[in-house]
Amino acid sequence: MRDKALFFVLWLIFSAICEWLASLIGPHFYFYVASVQAQEGQNAAAFILYMAVPIFVFVVMMLLFALFRFRARDDSIQPAKSQIKINKAYVGTWLGLSLVFNLFLFVHPTASAAQAYFNESMAYNKSPKTLIVDVVARQWEWRFSYPQYGLTQTVDANGNDFLELPVNTPVKFVLNSYDYNHYYDPQIDVIHSFWIPAFGMKMDVIPGETRTEYIEPTKISSTTQNQMLRVQCAEVCGPGHPYMEANMAVVSPANFAKWVAQQKKLEA
Amino acid sequence: MSTVPNNLVTGASGLPLQPRRRMMAPVLRGVIWAAIGFLALNTLVSQVDPGPLHSYVNQVSVVFGWMGAVIGWVFGVGAWDAVVKPAFGYPLRWKETVGWRRFFEYSTDHKVIATQYMVASGSGFIIAGIAAMLMRLQLMEDHLWLFSVPQDYLETVGIHGTIMMFSLATVFMVGGLGNYLIPMMVGSNKSAFPRLSGLSVWFVPAGILTVAFSPLLGAWTTGWRGYEPLAASDGNGIVFYYLGVFALLLSSLFVALNLVATIVFRRAPGLTWNRIPMYAWAMLVVSFLNIIWIPEIMMAFVLALLDKIVPLPFFTAVGSPLTYLEMFWLFGHPEVYIVVLPALGMWMEIMPVMSRKTLFGRQWGIIGLIFVMLLSGLVWAHHMFPTMSDVEVLPFSFFTEMISIPTGFAYMVVIGTLWQSRMRLKAPSLLVLMSMFNFLIGGLTGLFLADPMVNMQIHDTFFVVGHFHYTIIGGMVFSGFAAMYYYLPKFSGRMYNEKWAQFGAYWMFLAFNATFAQFFIIGLRGMNRWVPVYPQYLQAQNFEISIFAFLLGLGFVYNIVYILWVWVKGRKVESQNPWKSKTLEWYANPNPEEDNFKEIPTVLTGFYDYSDDSHPIAWDPTS
Repeated sequence: MRDKALFFVLWLIFSAICEWLASLIGPHFYFYVASVQAQEGQNAAAFILYMAVPIFVFVVMMLLFALFRFRARDDSIQPAKSQIKINKAYVGTWLGLSLVFNLFLFVHPTASAAQAYFNESMAYNKSPKTLIVDVVARQWEWRFSYPQYGLTQTVDANGNDFLELPVNTPVKFVLNSYDYNHYYDPQIDVIHSFWIPAFGMKMDVIPGETRTEYIEPTKISSTTQNQMLRVQCAEVCGPGHPYMEANMAVVSPANFAKWVAQQKKLEA
Repeated sequence: MSTVPNNLVTGASGLPLQPRRRMMAPVLRGVIWAAIGFLALNTLVSQVDPGPLHSYVNQVSVVFGWMGAVIGWVFGVGAWDAVVKPAFGYPLRWKETVGWRRFFEYSTDHKVIATQYMVASGSGFIIAGIAAMLMRLQLMEDHLWLFSVPQDYLETVGIHGTIMMFSLATVFMVGGLGNYLIPMMVGSNKSAFPRLSGLSVWFVPAGILTVAFSPLLGAWTTGWRGYEPLAASDGNGIVFYYLGVFALLLSSLFVALNLVATIVFRRAPGLTWNRIPMYAWAMLVVSFLNIIWIPEIMMAFVLALLDKIVPLPFFTAVGSPLTYLEMFWLFGHPEVYIVVLPALGMWMEIMPVMSRKTLFGRQWGIIGLIFVMLLSGLVWAHHMFPTMSDVEVLPFSFFTEMISIPTGFAYMVVIGTLWQSRMRLKAPSLLVLMSMFNFLIGGLTGLFLADPMVNMQIHDTFFVVGHFHYTIIGGMVFSGFAAMYYYLPKFSGRMYNEKWAQFGAYWMFLAFNATFAQFFIIGLRGMNRWVPVYPQYLQAQNFEISIFAFLLGLGFVYNIVYILWVWVKGRKVESQNPWKSKTLEWYANPNPEEDNFKEIPTVLTGFYDYSDDSHPIAWDPTS
C-alpha cells in the first residue's frame, strides 16, 4: 500500500512538472509555422504531446521503481515477498484506459484535424480567389506554372525554377509527375514528394496520377530568409534527389502582382 | 579433428550411415561449386540469348547465374551429400564432425545451426553497421566530400537498411536464439525438421554477400524498399537487391516452418499449451507472421525482378506504381512486428527470473502477442499516408493507434512482474529495462506519426528515422544483447564480469539516446531522408549527431567483442543455471556433441512460479 501511495503521488508530481515542460515545447513543436495547415498540424502534435506525457512518466517511473525501490540489495537468490499472478483491477484499468485513450486520440486530433483539412480543401477548391499552381515534378526539377495568369514556367533572376505565393491567399497545388522533355517514354519518371517544411504538408507526386494539395500561407518570408521555406523533394527519386529543391517566397498581394507582371514580360 | 565413432548406426536423419569419403573443406567446396554454378548457368543463358547489345554478364544471365551460384554453394557445404543424394535413395555418407569444423559445414544439430545463424547474422550487423558509419561520416558536411556522387551514398543507405532488416533484425532472435532455445525450451532433443533447418542457414551468408556486392552490377538508389517505378529505371544493382533479399527471406521462411512444427509437435510430455514458455509463444506468433507474409513479399520481388529484366511495365505510369508500394508494405509492417515480438517475449522470459517473482498476467502477455500478430496485417498503409489519396487514410490511422493496445500488454505484464519484486540488477535485467525505455519512446513517437495531419509534416524526415531506430535498435537490438548476456553461461559455460558488461550496456544506452533523440529534433527542423547534400543550417547538428553515432558504433563493437571474449576465455561457471531459472533450456545440455536431454523430461508444473526453489521437472541436482 505504501508503495502504491508513493508511486501515485510521485506520478502526479512528475506528470505535472513534465506537462509544464511540454507546455513550453508544445507550441514550438514545428519550429517554424507559415501556413494555416501547419498551425493545425502543430496544434495536433502539441495535443498528442500533452496526452503522451502522463503515460511516459508512468512507465519510466515504473522502470525507476524497479531500479531503485524493488532492487535486491544483495546477491542472494530469494523469492520476492509478493508473488501476485493477476490483479483484475489493474488489468481492467489498464485495458480500459488504453482503449479510451486510443479511441479519444483517434477522434481528436486524428479525425478532427483530418476533417478540418478536408473542409478547407473543399472550401479552397470552390473559392474563386484560390490561386492555382500547376506543379510538375521530374527527375530532377520542380516546375511551376500559373494557369490563371498564363505563366508556363516561373524562374528567379538566375533562371532557376521559383515559386512565389501571395500571403493569406488559398493556394491549390496541382501535382503531376512526368518529364516534359520525354513525354513519349512513360517509364522515365518516378514518385516524388512535394514538401515545403514551413507549410506542414506533404503530398507524393505519382506518375500517371494527379494529386492536389491545399495551403494558405500566413507569413511573408523567403527561402533566403528561412530555409524551412523551400520546395523539397521528400521521396527518394534517384541520384539527383538531394538536389531536387526549389527556392520560393511568400510576398504581399501587391508584390505578387508586380512579380506576375515581371514574369509575363520574361515569358513574352 | 575426430569424427563420430563408426558404431553409430543411424545419423540424425535416421538413415544408415556409410563410411565417409575424404573431401575438401565444405565451405571451400561450396565456394568452388558456387563459382562453377554461376559460370555454367550465366554462360548458358548468355549463349541462348546472344543479343548484340548484351554483355557476357547481363541482367538476365546474372539472375540465372546467381541461382546456379546459390545452389552450388548450398550443395557444396553439404546439402548434396546429406540431403539431395539420400533423397534419391543413395546411402548417407555424410557424417557430422565434432570440434570447430562442425560450425563450417552443413549440420542437423539445432545448437550448431543456431550458432551459425548468430555468426552470420552478427556479420551482417557489422557490415551494415560500417555502412551506417560511412553515412554518418558523409553527413558531417552539407556537401559531397566522402562520396563523389550521390549514387554511392544512396546505395550505402540501401545496403545498410537491407542487410540490417533482413539479416539481423528478422534473423538474430529467430534463426539464432530461436533455433538454439526452442527445442530445449519445449524439452526436445532436436527440432522438427533438422535437415531443412541445416539447409536454411546457408542462405544467409549468400544473401548478405549478394546485397553487399550489389554495387558490382551498378548503383541502385531506392533504399531498402526498392521503390517502384524508380527501381525499374535504376542501376542494375537492384537485381542483386531482389535476389539477395529473396535468399534471406527463404532462410527465414524455412526457420518459421521448423519452429512452428517444433513448438506444436515436439513438446515434452506434460508441456501443455497452457505451459508453453513466453519466448516460445513469441517464436510461434513470429513464425506465423513469417509464414503468412514472406511468400507475399517474395511474389512482389519476383514481379519487380521480371519488371526490371524482361522488362515489363507493371509498376510504371502505364501500370500501377502504387501496387508495388502496397505489396511492399503489406509485408513491411508485419515485418516490424517480426522484429519486435521476439524482444517482447524475451522481456517476459528474463524478468520473472531476475526479479524472483511469478510472471504477472501471463495470459495477457500471450493475448498481446497474438493480437499484435492479427492487427499487424491491417496497418500497412500508414507507411504511405502522403502517397495515398486523403480519403483512404483514416482506417489505417485507426488500426495504427489501436495496435498500441496489445503491444502495451507486454509492458503491463513486465511492469506487473517488477512491482514489489526483488529485482537483481545484472546486465540482462538492466538491458531489458533500457530496452523498455527505448521502445516506449519508439511507441510514443508513433502516436505522432499515426496522426495523418502531423504525419504529413514528419513523413520522410529524420523524425521517422529516429522513430524506427528507437523501435528496432532500442527494442530488438538491446533485447538481443540482454539475451546474449543472459544465456552466455548456458551457451558457453562461462560467465561475464558484471562491471564490464554493465559498462558496455550504459555506453550503448547513452550513445544510442544521444544519437537518435536528436533525429526527432533535426527531422522537425526540416532534415529529409536520403540526402547526402542538405541545407547549410542543419550542418552543425548533423556534425554533432555523427560524433555520438560513432560512439554508438564503438559501443556495439565493444559489447560484441566482450561477449565473444567471454564465450572463449571467460571465467567458467560452477552452476549450469546461475540465474536459477525454471524454464527447460536451463536443464538442458548445451554441448553440441550431446543430446539436450539424456532422457526426455516430463513437465510437472508451469515455469513461471518463483515463490520457491522447486523444479518444474523431476530433477536430481547431482546429475
